[in-house]
Amino acid sequence: MYQYSQADHQLLQERVAQFRDQVQRRLNGDLSEDEFKQQRLRNGLYLQIHAYMLRVAVPYGLMSSEQMRTLAHIARKYDRGYGHFSTRQNIQYNWPKLEDVPQILDDLAKVEMHAIQTSGNCIRNTTSDPLAGVARDEIADPRPYCELIRQWSTFHPEFNFLPRKFKIAVSGAINDRAAVAVHDIGLRLVKNDAGELGLEVYVGGGLGRTPMIGKLIRKFLPTHDMLTYLEAILRVYNQLGRRDNLYKARIKILVHETGEEKFRELVEAEWNEIKKTGLALTDADIEAIQAHFKDPDYETLSDFDEDFDAHLLANAEFAKWAEKNVELHKKDGYRVVYLSLKSRNQPAGDVTADQMDAIADLADKYSLSAIRSTHRQNLVLSDVKLKDLYELWQELKALDLATPNYNHLTDLISCPGMDYCSLATARSIPIAQALTERFDSYDYINDLGDISLNISGCINACGHHHVANIGILGVNKKGVEVYQLTLGGSARDDASIGKIIGPAFTADEIVDAVATVLDVYLDQREDEEEGFLTTYRRIGQEPFKEKLYG
Amino acid sequence: MALQVYSGSLLKEGLVAFLCLDDEGISWTTDLNKATAVEDDGLDALKEAAEKSERDNIIIAPYAVEVSRTETGLEPVENRERIRAYGPTIRLPQSAKSAPTSSGSRVAA
Ligand code: HEM
Ligand code: SF4
Repeated sequence: MYQYSQADHQLLQERVAQFRDQVQRRLNGDLSEDEFKQQRLRNGLYLQIHAYMLRVAVPYGLMSSEQMRTLAHIARKYDRGYGHFSTRQNIQYNWPKLEDVPQILDDLAKVEMHAIQTSGNCIRNTTSDPLAGVARDEIADPRPYCELIRQWSTFHPEFNFLPRKFKIAVSGAINDRAAVAVHDIGLRLVKNDAGELGLEVYVGGGLGRTPMIGKLIRKFLPTHDMLTYLEAILRVYNQLGRRDNLYKARIKILVHETGEEKFRELVEAEWNEIKKTGLALTDADIEAIQAHFKDPDYETLSDFDEDFDAHLLANAEFAKWAEKNVELHKKDGYRVVYLSLKSRNQPAGDVTADQMDAIADLADKYSLSAIRSTHRQNLVLSDVKLKDLYELWQELKALDLATPNYNHLTDLISCPGMDYCSLATARSIPIAQALTERFDSYDYINDLGDISLNISGCINACGHHHVANIGILGVNKKGVEVYQLTLGGSARDDASIGKIIGPAFTADEIVDAVATVLDVYLDQREDEEEGFLTTYRRIGQEPFKEKLYG
Repeated sequence: MALQVYSGSLLKEGLVAFLCLDDEGISWTTDLNKATAVEDDGLDALKEAAEKSERDNIIIAPYAVEVSRTETGLEPVENRERIRAYGPTIRLPQSAKSAPTSSGSRVAA
């Protein structure tokens, strides 16, 4: 994991002191709300429906157990005992008091965390693959590149007031687990025919009001040129992106309006200028960062464990969990474990302070003291020994973190919706909870297989509904919450935007409507191997429409 | 005629609060049922008091909220306002603490 330098620490301390002073001046009345708002947003502090909301950055979703304990402490001491992991791998607190926030930021700074650039029109937290560094299908570890981007983008003076917020994701594996196609810039590490490492560069993806899939503007960028090329893209965007209309300000609109070809030319021209300044990364630069992400001292282990197999046979519940929530690791004898934040008992992505502390302890005991957050709002212990899985499972079960549903129907994404968010047009969590309750049967969701179901409480699409196989969008129709259903989206390698199927459903109808969609799929699939998306793409919307509205 | 209260967010806590305007003067409460509800013609006085609290850095962005009087008390007409007044409509995590300012206390004058 990256360790802060003395300069990093000092920077954060100065920033905390600055904000403490700004808060004091606001409380004294020396700053008006309008003046202060800009300051608090630059420190990740929003004002929501019920209270302030603080968004803390978790760089590319990686946390130490010590950091997790601090997150728990903050939830317990300054909030109402829980936090919410978001689809951008960050954590949000829903109830901090303004006067406590400087102290919260101080506590965070002590463990090398902060809330800078988690809001506002700047480059936000770079997201990545939760299996970075341990995935079997990895071409190269994306985390050093994320860290380089983090250092380059933090306080970058030129890009601190862009036309709109800017989100970058990096993936280093064959399978995309970072939704790179729906980011302002998506980077994928690839190898060329000569076996050299480079990046595919996608630009102009995004969700929100105008969902778009990113366009591949460069097939192979040498890794040494990553920052100069990002600089070129950002510079073109900063100059030409629309500032006159909030809804047209994202880079996806610029790429769309300029045309992919022309946009590429603009970037390449800018890049050729920047390259002359000789700012490319050197081998030494990259290696210095890579040193922070070296493999730990893995033990040489067998990929077979007699006791593990015996437990699988003896305990059906354990076997279900091991099948659903455990994934292979690049090292024999190790496994990656998903901690499901999608139980029946709390909103998707919510974790209590006690759970956080317990997770930190489990990470220390079983997984080299590190935890990752995923863009599907779950947590990951990435380095668990096969022989420890049974014991770990028992502990996770006791913590309600072992629902065997990873990448299955009830592993749904849900934004906070109107229960917390001031921009919402409808609630999303109650619908998510009703769905989780309705589809509680393991056998049923197992039969459905790999499927995604996402819910957003307004068109901003923080819940990624556009790229779900089944997406739900809450809207307000004459004062009543209604829910639009979209089908056929995907956030993976075959990324696509779902299509609205027809008129919206009321809150009472939407769960049945989802059940109907699932019935049509089960009825129409060619065999158990044919997944939802394949069936949908084969048969189209008609059969679903007929059953829903027929 | 529509019954209305004045509401905003408390600067210090960020919590939703409602204006009380009575013999004791101006104060704010997190309990909607303690709020001063007026018909249209009383609204100007509430607005004036709320704006004073805004200038005094007690409350952020106050505005009028339409309510109706039911058997159980005041009830906002709009969904969003009901959620503001009564909190998230969902089961919070089991160990969640109750709201930081105990409901109903008068929080500022
Ligand atoms: C304080 C609450 C929040 C506010 C005010 C907020 C606001 C917004 C807005 C305005 C957009 C649309 C941006 C645009 O298209 O230009 C957006 C997009 C997005 N938000 Fe949020 N959001 C909030 C909470 C969350 C949460 C809790 C998550 C994760 C669960 C999240 C993740 C995202 C993602 C992934 C997108 C879409 C990607 C994109 O196009 O940028 N947001 N948000
Ligand atoms: S999608 Fe809308 S309701 Fe949901 S968190 Fe984003 S802004 Fe709020």
